[in-house]
Amino acid sequence: MSLKSRPRTLNIPWSELVLVLGLVIAVLYMNSLSPAFLSLSNFFEITRIVTEVGLMALGMTLVIITGGIDLSVGSVLGLSGITMGFLYTAGLNIWLAALLGVATGALCGWINGQLITRAGIPPLIVTLATLAIFRGLALGISQAHSFGNYPKAFLALGAGYLGPVPNQLFLLVLLALGVGVVLARSTFGRFVYAIGNNPTAARFSGVPVNRVLVWVYTLSGLLAGLAGVIFTARVSSARSDAGIGTELDAITAVVLGGASIAGGSGSVVGTLLGLLLVGVVRNGLTLAFIPAEQQAIIIGAILLVAVLLNQVIRLRLGRN
Amino acid sequence: MKRVWIWLSVLAMVLASALAMAQAGKKITVVMIPKLVGIDYFNATQKGAEEAAKELGNVTLRYVGPTEASAAKQIELIENAIQAKVDVISVAANDPKALAPALQKARDAGIKVVTWDADADSRDVFCNQATFTGIGEALLDSMVDQIGKNGPAAIITSDLTAPNQNSWIAAMKAKIAKEYPNFKIVDTKAPGEDQQKAFQAAQDLMKAYPDLKGIFALSSVAFPGAADAVKQAGKSGKVAVVGLSTPKQMAPFVKDGTVRDVVLWNPIDLGYLSIYAARAAVDGTLKEGAKIKAGRLGEFTVTKDNISLQILLGKPFIFNKSNIDKFNF
Repeated sequence: MSLKSRPRTLNIPWSELVLVLGLVIAVLYMNSLSPAFLSLSNFFEITRIVTEVGLMALGMTLVIITGGIDLSVGSVLGLSGITMGFLYTAGLNIWLAALLGVATGALCGWINGQLITRAGIPPLIVTLATLAIFRGLALGISQAHSFGNYPKAFLALGAGYLGPVPNQLFLLVLLALGVGVVLARSTFGRFVYAIGNNPTAARFSGVPVNRVLVWVYTLSGLLAGLAGVIFTARVSSARSDAGIGTELDAITAVVLGGASIAGGSGSVVGTLLGLLLVGVVRNGLTLAFIPAEQQAIIIGAILLVAVLLNQVIRLRLGRN
Repeated sequence: MKRVWIWLSVLAMVLASALAMAQAGKKITVVMIPKLVGIDYFNATQKGAEEAAKELGNVTLRYVGPTEASAAKQIELIENAIQAKVDVISVAANDPKALAPALQKARDAGIKVVTWDADADSRDVFCNQATFTGIGEALLDSMVDQIGKNGPAAIITSDLTAPNQNSWIAAMKAKIAKEYPNFKIVDTKAPGEDQQKAFQAAQDLMKAYPDLKGIFALSSVAFPGAADAVKQAGKSGKVAVVGLSTPKQMAPFVKDGTVRDVVLWNPIDLGYLSIYAARAAVDGTLKEGAKIKAGRLGEFTVTKDNISLQILLGKPFIFNKSNIDKFNF
């Protein structure tokens, strides 16, 4: 396969078609479950709640396309929020504190990237370790306190609206466009797919594998850091337990979106559709007062069915 | 012509009163959000809430909570409840500050907000399970009843900076100064929230003060730790242990006679009261100084506090041999 053609171009629209179909079914079904479901304000509420996971899922899309995984993003979210809250409470300007919070996320990601490329430890293990380390740091810095009392202008980032549209949705859409274009149209994007398809071949074809990987993990950390800042603005306090378990939500969105965990395939559009599907299902079930335990089972089942469907379609196309 | 006017005004009056009645008795939906689901304590509050909703007959109860004690998940549930246009959101807050904006948003949308078990900074009414004074005095009363008005007793707290424990100790000391001036508290140990260290502290206390008659154990881990130390020293019945903990954890010590009273509140009653408070909030009967009826628990007076209104569940509940097996938390 030459580097110039996008790998598995044929499969990507198929998996997205399945998702759109799933989304339509979910919307119709949720509408029958609860009369409160189908409204514009509820739709925007869904996007407001999924934005943080969405930001992490964007970075995770790149990571998973390279054949890696980043389990640390939930902890990075927590650490970035706490860093920002701590600095602001210590007297720093709020925007500077927020910027440093995002930078903390990027630094976390850079450390992941360095450990993976230089020490040669598999991403699963590196980020499993940093998941624990970053969360521990967040707990240590916060000393079990939460940091609050932010100015109104900052809280608007997570709780403000422009008309009916929540502010953070603009950010998500803008970044999704950016990541999407880079992935589909730039040399860097082609490198990312190439590494996922065959890292050895990519290396011999002159792809700067290590440099690309460090960038990918740094970007994943940066987006998780941004999610931490948005989360803090949305709930108006920074807590060290923020974002626990959200790495799995991000991975779910990416995998639902048709990315292969083995690397080489995946797209931003797919990830956004996966994100929206989980958001719609969770919101609809909550509006129908289905308990959280049952929701978890339903979302797990949807993930399995979607991946199975993709598998079947892929096999069929492969045979033709 | 005059007749028509009379009839019309009668009709208007009937309609108006019917409307008012419809508001007061209308069917309401209450979303009740515990700190987390799947633990015995909050299963108990759910049981009480369901009992009250069934008694009232015009309350649809939706008991939904996160599977881990997370403020973010509670915020998501609150925001969804606003979209679902429920009548009341009733919550045990995982973080008083973080939940406040979402709860304020609900109130702006005309939804009544009730907090219980753990308060939040924005709400219409808080169902308070127990006051510090109430707990402190219940502990002391139980001790005096078991060992007499002179003590001597010792205290095992958690940390010397723990705010709840310090408030209980202050309430106990205030009552000692007023009613039992001869009651001696010989020592206060602070082993932290650590059962093994509390066990050690109780052993040390019994060695240092051979005539010690009682130990106050003021945390849910200090209580079983101290009770275990007394039992292993063969001093069950000679050194009384009184404290706060959950009944399931303390049941073995209550049954073998090491502990007579376990002081806490009854979470079933707390859940029960919160539903009656939710009903009163919608009916508009919740005002400072007003009395609201809460089924089998009787009447409660609504008081004002620094946020809005508050209803106190009452005196702490004492778990002992006669009732401890009925509680599964």
